[in-house]
Amino acid sequence: MAALMPVVPLISLQGVHKQYPNGTVALRDVTLVVPKQDFVFLVGPSGAGKSTLVRLLIREEKVTAGKIHVEGQDLSRLKRRHLPFLRRKIGMVFQDFKLLPNLTVFQNVAFALRVTEGALRHLKPKVEEVLSIVGLEGKENKFPDQLSGGEQQRVAIARALVHDPKIFLADEPTGNLDPATSWEIIQLLLQINARGTTVLMATHNREIVDVMRRRVVAIEGGQIVRDEDAGGYHAPALESR
Amino acid sequence: MHRLWNRVDFAFSSAWQNFWRNAAVSIASVLIVWVVLLALGSLLLVLHSLDQIVALEKTKASAISVYLADTTPLSSAMDFKLHLENDPRVTAVTYVSKDQAMARFRQLPALDPSVIDTLGTNPLPASLDVTVRDIRDLGAIDQAVRNSPLVDRSPATNYEPNVIDKIILLARVAGIAGLVLIVGLTGLSVFIIMLTIRTAIYLRRKEIEVMKLVGATDWFVRWPFIVEGLFVGVVGAVVAVLIVGFGYRPAVVNLQSVLIFVPLSFDQYYLRLVLAAMLGFGLLLGSVGSYLGVRRFLKQ
Repeated sequence: MAALMPVVPLISLQGVHKQYPNGTVALRDVTLVVPKQDFVFLVGPSGAGKSTLVRLLIREEKVTAGKIHVEGQDLSRLKRRHLPFLRRKIGMVFQDFKLLPNLTVFQNVAFALRVTEGALRHLKPKVEEVLSIVGLEGKENKFPDQLSGGEQQRVAIARALVHDPKIFLADEPTGNLDPATSWEIIQLLLQINARGTTVLMATHNREIVDVMRRRVVAIEGGQIVRDEDAGGYHAPALESR
Repeated sequence: MHRLWNRVDFAFSSAWQNFWRNAAVSIASVLIVWVVLLALGSLLLVLHSLDQIVALEKTKASAISVYLADTTPLSSAMDFKLHLENDPRVTAVTYVSKDQAMARFRQLPALDPSVIDTLGTNPLPASLDVTVRDIRDLGAIDQAVRNSPLVDRSPATNYEPNVIDKIILLARVAGIAGLVLIVGLTGLSVFIIMLTIRTAIYLRRKEIEVMKLVGATDWFVRWPFIVEGLFVGVVGAVVAVLIVGFGYRPAVVNLQSVLIFVPLSFDQYYLRLVLAAMLGFGLLLGSVGSYLGVRRFLKQ
């Protein structure tokens, strides 16, 4: 039904090529459209190009050929001084959390607002709001090393949410977590998605992908080999049931 | 306002932390800035003093004092004066008695009058102060009067042909040597400030990564390091300014008492200029050093 309406997709990649200066070709002719509020799993073996795709979306890298649009904006024509404002639209979390060890939970989240010059008056209520979304009330004054891995990833998620991002990019967010904790994180991402944020999650976690039955984009050798709604980790033909 | 305050507060508190987090390197860079500015300030003041001397010597240059022997009667001295006045090269001749010479001597700065009083008799000769039309005739006048029996022998005149040239040469050599030293030290200090900033950046690399990730602007990331560089420049400058500012007058007074015939004076106005220049140069060193420090990593 969405296909019948002429809407500008939130993210669109058209014929994207990426070749690194050392000659490695990471992506070839990738075309992908992600509408608003979508929830997408990016799957594929290590080195397939998932991380490159993520880096291109936050313009940490530039495409070699092709076009990427985010909210209709052409990323290859985005000026460097406008880059921070793209990043504020995109919340990111990683396998290694990237928390600052010398700051408390509250300070880690507040840091994202401070360095983007959010008005200090609104800082405290906003931080408290996102910490309650991720379920970390009462842990504001703990330091990262006093938290479990799952809790640390929640802090990272809270930090990614302070700018009310349109897009949430998660690069192997459950890579360092045990299965039970991984499920909690996935539930959290679903909640965030339900609030209207588009979620892209690069993952190796086959169990989660298979159970969730969401849109799956599989990348291999720098190319999209499969893109199906309500898919599994592997192509249907390879699945043993 | 809130945003501006947030930016300023963040930059200054981060810069302060950076400074103490790698205290050894930071203090080294403060020291080198201090040395550069001390050298700069001292050189400017020394050159200024030499300039003062040259200027005064030039006004004295068209005159020569012919010292009269104590045995010369006043009438012979007056005849000699008249003889000199008739010389076409001479424009004026003034007689200075022994008492007048002593009175002038007492006027010299930094000379303790009680020392003179212990001399008892007046050792200074009377003189004829001869002013000439053309400085180049001074040598000839000196030769003409030197062998007169009326003239003292030790010395006969105060004629010193090359003194100005020597002082000018000294000023030039001191200026060039000082300039070379300061240029070298400037390069070194900019390099060390740059290293200090690079170290601070390295120690903050995780914060910087997160800042870029969550959408901090380049300038927001840069400011703490620029402030740190300026802080290094200012601290080094302030210490050097205090030393030169408070040290100049005692140095002049001490030199006056050693070099009693050299017309040195304390120049308050010029000192202020020098101190302002030192402070400005300190800020320049700090900003150039930190700019070079942040330039590369922000190109990503």
